[in-house]
Amino acid sequence: MRGEGANDPVVTERFSGMVDARQRVTGDVGYTIDLTLPAMLHAKVLRSTSAHARIKRIDVSRARQVPGVVAVLTGADLVNRGDLQPYFGPVYRDQPILAIDKVRFVGDPVAAVAAVDLDAAREAVDLIEVEYEELPAVFTIDEALAEGASLVHEGPPRTGETFADVIVKPTAGTNICNSFRLRKGDIEVGFAESDEVFEDVFTSPPVQHVPMETHACIADVSGGRVTVWSSTQIPFVIRTQLAEIFRLPQSKVRVIIPTLGGGYGAKCYPKIEPLTAALSLVTRRPVRFHLTREEEFLTITKHGVRIRLKTGLKKDGTIVARQSLCHFNTGAYADIGPRLIKNGGYGTGGPHRIPHVAVDSHAVYTNIVPAGAFRGYGISQAAWAYETQMDMIAERMGIDPLELRMKNLLDDGDTVMTGEPMEDAHFKELLADATSYIGWTPEDHEPVRDGSKVRAKGFSCIIKGTVTPSTSTAAAKLNEDGSLDILTSSVEMGQGLLTALAILGGEPLGIGVDRVNVSTPDTDVTPYDQQSSSSRSTYAMGTAVQRAVREIRRKLFEHASELLEVSVDDLEIADGAVVVKGVPERALDFGAIVRKTRSGNIVGEATYRTEGGLDPETGQGIGSVHWHQAAAAAEVEVDTETGKVTLLRYHGGVYAGRIINPVQAELQTEGNLAFGIGQALYEEMLFDNGQLQNGNLGDYMIPSFEDLPREVDINVLEYLPADEIHGIGETSLPPVMPAIGNAVARATGVRIVDLPITPEKILRGLRELDARRATAEEVPIR
Amino acid sequence: MTLATDGANGPAPLPTDEDGKLTLTLRVNGRTERVEARAHHTILQVLRDELNLYGVREGCGIGMCGACTILLDGRPVSGCLLLAPQAVGHEITTIEGLESPEGELHVVQQSFVDHTGFQCSYCTPGFILATTALLEEKPDVTADEAREYLAGNLCRCGSYVKIMDSVLDARDRLAARRTGGSGQ
Repeated sequence: MRGEGANDPVVTERFSGMVDARQRVTGDVGYTIDLTLPAMLHAKVLRSTSAHARIKRIDVSRARQVPGVVAVLTGADLVNRGDLQPYFGPVYRDQPILAIDKVRFVGDPVAAVAAVDLDAAREAVDLIEVEYEELPAVFTIDEALAEGASLVHEGPPRTGETFADVIVKPTAGTNICNSFRLRKGDIEVGFAESDEVFEDVFTSPPVQHVPMETHACIADVSGGRVTVWSSTQIPFVIRTQLAEIFRLPQSKVRVIIPTLGGGYGAKCYPKIEPLTAALSLVTRRPVRFHLTREEEFLTITKHGVRIRLKTGLKKDGTIVARQSLCHFNTGAYADIGPRLIKNGGYGTGGPHRIPHVAVDSHAVYTNIVPAGAFRGYGISQAAWAYETQMDMIAERMGIDPLELRMKNLLDDGDTVMTGEPMEDAHFKELLADATSYIGWTPEDHEPVRDGSKVRAKGFSCIIKGTVTPSTSTAAAKLNEDGSLDILTSSVEMGQGLLTALAILGGEPLGIGVDRVNVSTPDTDVTPYDQQSSSSRSTYAMGTAVQRAVREIRRKLFEHASELLEVSVDDLEIADGAVVVKGVPERALDFGAIVRKTRSGNIVGEATYRTEGGLDPETGQGIGSVHWHQAAAAAEVEVDTETGKVTLLRYHGGVYAGRIINPVQAELQTEGNLAFGIGQALYEEMLFDNGQLQNGNLGDYMIPSFEDLPREVDINVLEYLPADEIHGIGETSLPPVMPAIGNAVARATGVRIVDLPITPEKILRGLRELDARRATAEEVPIR
Repeated sequence: MTLATDGANGPAPLPTDEDGKLTLTLRVNGRTERVEARAHHTILQVLRDELNLYGVREGCGIGMCGACTILLDGRPVSGCLLLAPQAVGHEITTIEGLESPEGELHVVQQSFVDHTGFQCSYCTPGFILATTALLEEKPDVTADEAREYLAGNLCRCGSYVKIMDSVLDARDRLAARRTGGSGQ
């Protein structure tokens, strides 16, 4: 928060790296899957082979006979117990722990086995017999919205406690599980005032997060408590939901989170924890459940989305109106879809100054794998639409695409789509840096041909919010030797959170990361944090941690003031000690203060809450506590004979406010490039009648070394006068796909509006262009 | 490569206990280890579950991602594709075997630390082991060759730029060491 660090000691040396680097290169870092408990059982799940069906019969008798099997569990067993609330979900409680009465997608868990080893569990799963009565299924948005469409969920959604920012508006009797609406200005007036109006449709497919560590959970239900170790990004939501399921006070549920092997949103919200805990309940033994890669693909995806975008402009290129209709395919269970459509919906407003904006954004149930949080949280899909359309408009209007953007990008004081004034805007600077790196000039951006290969450049610029309002709390303890413990429930998943909090926590006391330890989450011990997502942790938890440590500093000064018999105002911090200003020999090191006052330790705690939220009817209010900003520029080479796209050069720019850990900031931005290349060029989960066709790493490619451009330039833009930290975990991802897409379109003349940009689509487009040219040549020009 | 179970007349039957388990003698990180495993268990599973070597990790289960890379007689192989009995008679190296007995990191590990060639680091042991094998094979490897060699190791966090910095720096340090330089 701005201004709070005014009295912090001046930091002279900036730490850059990871505090647990040694553990990370020796294999010693400790993930959930590395834990073993005495008498621990292993779980396996039988999954639905039908996309939508009633369960007529399940026979588990042969499975129960397998030596080593301790329990076989079905949804009916959970219902029959009567002591559980067998549904979960972060907004709606629509997802059963195991299918109850019906299955809703191919891969839906139907029955589970806990056994002494995986071999026995696997054998038992193979022996479970299920008879289904098939129901009509819906897979696409059109099928789900059709008149008389089969309903994925009947009846009104089961609601429960959820996040403060979630607006719940389901449409009864349809597959629309939630809608978000935004009205800024008057869209009709906007189009009436427009000289040109362009309407285009863009789609993004479902893709999978593919964290290298798949979901893993160990549960131990004993002694009246539920304890889970889980690879989750959100400890306190897991706790809330397990308390609800097991009908326990939250204090009787304990969630412990070792470091994660990647998350990217896949590990937000409950996934396998309820089932693992249920198996522990029935077996009275600890149970481990670790998804195979194939199961990971059946657990959660990025939303497939269709966005219809209508943009009205003045002749000179000034945007005056934008209307969007967004349909997010949220799959068989809502997960966080009902909230994500808000961000994805308002996100279509883009980083532009537009007086009239209207958004209707819907989450639609279908019979495919549930979709949920995914790095970028709806903004990638929105940015793919508006940044592709910006180039299409520029071409149609004969305006340079950079000029068109520069004319419309937000400046300080302009109102963003949710109606609040923009502050600390850096869009233009980021985009100028990006385009300058690839050498973009309005005069010279024609494609360059070399035989069958053609090169061209493209770029993009995006805006992203962070969840608002939100809450983080932290505690810190100063020990007898002057070292510092930080207690936090933020999750380390590779983004370098432990390091960032160690740096930030040390700052108010002027101590380095070597004297600071940052905890991993344990809900019995570490204070509340809302979620490690939305690029919020370094900013929100970082602020809470700094406040907690400043509380310690206040107490240190009070103690030192008594011990040294001087006023608090005459004290300062230097080299791990409280010193009388101007009298360096009158000093007490931190440890001495703790010892002399017999404090045991000096404890500080603090909360950081952001305020805001949107009006449910107009989507106006405070959309984000501050706005994340990024730009990208790419140069590609397309082989017009094969359709293959090679990314030659790439510049990723992101606004960081204050950079906390330079190398980590670069890594996040480089990582977003790698992540985005896959989504731009080939990642797509392919379904055939609801059956996933490519759910393994043989058929579903993710970027390797060979996909990266030879030249990568990263601009993590720091602007210290703003005195604020901006999250950068996701921000530089959304611009990757449109930057590449715009370059490919410029190179080939083929405009692809449906991700990914595959060689097949390029070749088909080139053939159509050739056919059109041939036809045109036959027509005599008059 | 000749594998232990390959006899001249096909694989010889191996004696198992009543639980279907074989007793295997493995050479792991310079030590001799006796483990119990069923014939279909992979070396990945055995190294983790029987020997508590958690640096070898499953990522895909089908040999596509490299997270379970181990060195078998110095060459990188996917632990998820190698059955434990096939590893008998070979020298296995895991990430836990790279440090010196005094706890000094291998040059490749140190380079990864110095360049922060990782984020979540789930894939890191695989990358480091593959890199050590690469630099044994090709001490003067170029960036392009390294890219091709390491294309079988996937990093979803996308730390590739800094991984390449780490690999090339390790190459240079090892070269300096060979020519009598400080290696730093």
